[in-house]
Amino acid sequence: MGWKEAAEPYLTRMPTVSRPEGHVPFKRKMAWTAFILVVYFFLTNVALWGLGQNATDLFGQFRSLLAGGQGSVLQLGIGPIVTASIVLQLLGGANLLGLDTDDPRDQAIYQGLQKLLVLVMICLTGLPMVFLGGFLPADTALASALGIGVFGVKWIIFAQIFVGGVLILYMDEVVSKWGVGSGIGLFIVAGVSQQLIIGLLYWTGAGTGSMGVLPFWINVVLGNIENVTASSLLFNSTVGLLPIITTLLIYAVVVYAESVRVEIPLSHARVKGARGRFPVKLIYASVLPMILVRALQANIQFLGRILRGWLGEAGMPNWLGVYTVSEQAGLQVAGGLFYYLAPIHSPSDWMWWVAGVGGAEPWQVLLRVAIDLTFMVIGGGIFAIFWVETADMGPEATAKQIQNSGMQIPGFRQNVGVIEKVMERYIPQVTVIGGALVGLLAVVANMMGTIGGVSGTGLLLTISITYKLYEEIAEEQLMEMHPMMRQMFGNE
Amino acid sequence: MSSGQNSGGLMSSAGLVRYFDSEGRNAIRINPKSVMAFGALFGVLVIMLNALTV
Repeated sequence: MGWKEAAEPYLTRMPTVSRPEGHVPFKRKMAWTAFILVVYFFLTNVALWGLGQNATDLFGQFRSLLAGGQGSVLQLGIGPIVTASIVLQLLGGANLLGLDTDDPRDQAIYQGLQKLLVLVMICLTGLPMVFLGGFLPADTALASALGIGVFGVKWIIFAQIFVGGVLILYMDEVVSKWGVGSGIGLFIVAGVSQQLIIGLLYWTGAGTGSMGVLPFWINVVLGNIENVTASSLLFNSTVGLLPIITTLLIYAVVVYAESVRVEIPLSHARVKGARGRFPVKLIYASVLPMILVRALQANIQFLGRILRGWLGEAGMPNWLGVYTVSEQAGLQVAGGLFYYLAPIHSPSDWMWWVAGVGGAEPWQVLLRVAIDLTFMVIGGGIFAIFWVETADMGPEATAKQIQNSGMQIPGFRQNVGVIEKVMERYIPQVTVIGGALVGLLAVVANMMGTIGGVSGTGLLLTISITYKLYEEIAEEQLMEMHPMMRQMFGNE
Repeated sequence: MSSGQNSGGLMSSAGLVRYFDSEGRNAIRINPKSVMAFGALFGVLVIMLNALTV
């Protein structure tokens, strides 16, 4: 008797959102997606009750990627879900779970385990955020008014972010089952798009730092901005020419790369003339594994910030991390191990000839860039492989699917093992190359800067999720046109 | 989508959380409307608490 039998009665009892019975019309699906989006935006604007002054964001520059809103009930965003997914990917990729996702019983256990892990991660990120390091300080006035002490108010704050975290999980489930795409994708796209639009249009006053791309360039052309230097026009991390070009370039590269594929010809075993192709896309594993690598880096940085907040300035050894505290930026790492492990977020993190880079020497900056690149390229490759394995896109699973659909590769025997051999020639290689390429792109985008200062990974994810969403919507509409289509696609 | 072969689950653009068709028979089922209603009410409750204590 393994862990499965022991855990099954508990894991299969996890509450789930009910599935729709029968076909959900496309319009209804869009409506569900839109409703969830509205509730999501509403909740990101609901401030936590009992929160005191001087709260700093533990997620820091990872915020746009992890969605949610600082100081709101959705403080945790999709962080716990992503972290839980990392654990599952690693366990599943190393085949430690022993779950067969074709078996209905194991599927139910897998889903329960998934939810349980997210709940654990909500506690693991939420508790230190509230109780260690003062990232979400309690309101002392409220504490004395209620007579429960600061500790009691902290529990109230934790309860709110806990409910927020659980809500994100179930909102994702509603979108996945009743709407279009996945909730997590939707939340990332929503956050990043909002930041992109703000970055394009915002206007808070005169001067380089207080307007978005469009107002800035209009004012440059009209000659309203003083002290314009060639360097600020080119290198400014949010409105310069470089971030504009980078944003457009990343867009073009991702859309192009989505169409780069190795096509494996297929023919039907019985019906002569029925032909098809199995595409192994360059970005086969999609860009989603990238978020796992970034979240791993984010978790390393949380650890540093929590340690710093817990031990205080004097208690934190210098080799581990030196932090500077400022009014606008909050806690910033400026030296030690955690500095080198921190990813490059914007040009001001490394362009030592333009920005101050926090007083770091060029060799320190270069070392940090090298570590970030290595982490992302190798991590991208590894997580892409794990992703393909756990999402049933690997050689074995695809071979089985092709076999079951009655297709074969022309010129080869109709046999699962043979199809798998052919798939093994392409899928692992393409996956690793794709993963590494996406990792490289994400780092380059961050280094060059992007419009609105959205992270490279956020931009990549947004473009590729939108592309997938577009494909899915096109497919949905096709199915709406004729009920026969639904049978052909196999979704009744 | 060249041939329709890659739809129907062959190339799944799976989200981070995976949902399968079969679920535990004894799982508690939640209506999606309840999730939405709970989310909205929870938000309103926190806003009201904020307004009351300022």
